[in-house]
Amino acid sequence: MIQSTRPAQYGFAERWLPRLVLAPSFLLSLVFIYGFVVWNGYLSFTASSLLPRYEWVGFHQYARLFANDRWWVAVFNLFKFGVLFIGISMLVGIFLAILLDQKIRFEGFIRTVYLYPMALSFIVTGTAWKWMLNPGLGLEKLMHDWGWTSFTFDWLVNPDMSIYTVVIAAIWQSSGFVMALFLAGLRGIDDSIIKAAQIDGATLPRIYWKIILPAMRPVFFSTLMILAHIAIKSFDLVVALTGGGPGFSSDVPATYMYAMAFTRGEMGLGSASAMMMLLSVSAVIVPYLYSELRRGSR
Amino acid sequence: MNEKAPWWVGILGWGTAFVIFLPILIIAITAFKTEQDAYSLSLLFKPTLQSFNEVFERSHYLGFVSNSVYVSLGSTIASLALAVPAAYSLAFFPGKRAQKILLWMLSTKMMPAVGVLIPIYLLAKTTLLLDSITGLIIIYTLINLPIAVWMAFTYFNEVPKEILEAARIDGANAWQEMLHLLLPTALPGLASTALLLVIFSWNEAFWSLNLSSVNAAPLTVFIASYSNPEGLFWAKLSAASLLAIAPILVLGWLAQKQLVRGMTFGAVK
Repeated sequence: MIQSTRPAQYGFAERWLPRLVLAPSFLLSLVFIYGFVVWNGYLSFTASSLLPRYEWVGFHQYARLFANDRWWVAVFNLFKFGVLFIGISMLVGIFLAILLDQKIRFEGFIRTVYLYPMALSFIVTGTAWKWMLNPGLGLEKLMHDWGWTSFTFDWLVNPDMSIYTVVIAAIWQSSGFVMALFLAGLRGIDDSIIKAAQIDGATLPRIYWKIILPAMRPVFFSTLMILAHIAIKSFDLVVALTGGGPGFSSDVPATYMYAMAFTRGEMGLGSASAMMMLLSVSAVIVPYLYSELRRGSR
Repeated sequence: MNEKAPWWVGILGWGTAFVIFLPILIIAITAFKTEQDAYSLSLLFKPTLQSFNEVFERSHYLGFVSNSVYVSLGSTIASLALAVPAAYSLAFFPGKRAQKILLWMLSTKMMPAVGVLIPIYLLAKTTLLLDSITGLIIIYTLINLPIAVWMAFTYFNEVPKEILEAARIDGANAWQEMLHLLLPTALPGLASTALLLVIFSWNEAFWSLNLSSVNAAPLTVFIASYSNPEGLFWAKLSAASLLAIAPILVLGWLAQKQLVRGMTFGAVK
């Protein structure tokens, strides 16, 4: 894929310069993440509380973490959120992509509208959704004003349902992006195959199911990767929308970690939870990167 | 495929677009209401700039705006300054490990930022960079660096290699090549990269919420401070949000392709 264009007549400086200009970016981005991950990992084995204390306590913080109910609420929430968010965004996104692939008028305009939520900050959209889903102010009040007085939508203040409001907002934010990925994939499919299938009398749904969707497997895979890491990283949206509440019912690991390290003065516990998140992300991306690296060196 | 979509497909497409745009539309409409009118979602109201005035008066709104501008532009310039030479080197002098270097940089973007928050926070505190614009610029530069390198790399890779060969046969050296050939050809791509970085920095909330409070707080922190639903702030919140997202509503329209490209690390062009 990458072709060397280095000619033989280049001098010493021109041979070393490329490495010299590459080094800062490479080292900075790696040290920024992995260097600090190591530091964080060290903290997770110490008795750090309000301030870092470099007193080794072994796996004590991890034991406390695993015995902590709130942590498990956060983990379970991330699981619920991740499955629903990824699954539904995918479905909606694919639906929108197929819709736009039908040569609608003003397609460019509609596509931009679909993509808009993705361009906005999670903080702004989270705050907007917070007001819209607020029982006294938003949707519920609108329905009451229109005469449907028995309508209730109290998910935002209902501890059993609060995490699902985050799901709604996140799906709204990301579906357009999924659409863009799949639309690019759909447009990349050779039209002649589809024409041939049509001549053979295949119906449109059948063409999508049998020819187009199987051809989209790489798109599907990369979308999955991107959505998964958006889900694991989710912090701003939860902070803006529910603040992890009511109580800690909509906590996710990222907000749990923040609460422990910065408001509860439990830095060791916080860094242990951060390490658990890092390990689970690694479990997803290390095999992926490994396969990419193998493919790259082939 | 059929040449024209059936009418109901068009209706469906427009309907979905309307539903998706509705929350933004509600913000935009409510921003021009009084707090009393904002309490109902009715469209019959007298537009007023009252909420905007109050946002300007009661908070140091312009301070948040200027922090956002400084931090977005500063970090964009800094990451481009680091990333463009790196991407240039990767695209045109790749060496054996170019692919691995790129993937290693990509892997850092996949890691949750929460994993490094405590050390960064401690470091910022000891170096007095906590709640400072410089501190935020440094952090934003570092988080955007892998994207900047990847984006610039994919744009450089699109420059046809034959042009470079031709220039070299004509006796151009590396610097001439870069100045007269590469930069002009790759300039639209680099501009898109810059646009994308500005949008990402403008929207960045994780680090701004955690590392700034008063002095360096950008707009994202300001909006988050409105998220307490005590009292009736609906109209003011909408006005503040609209002001905060206005630049993105314009830039987002221009940069929609780059946005997708950036979020997929150049995989979708």
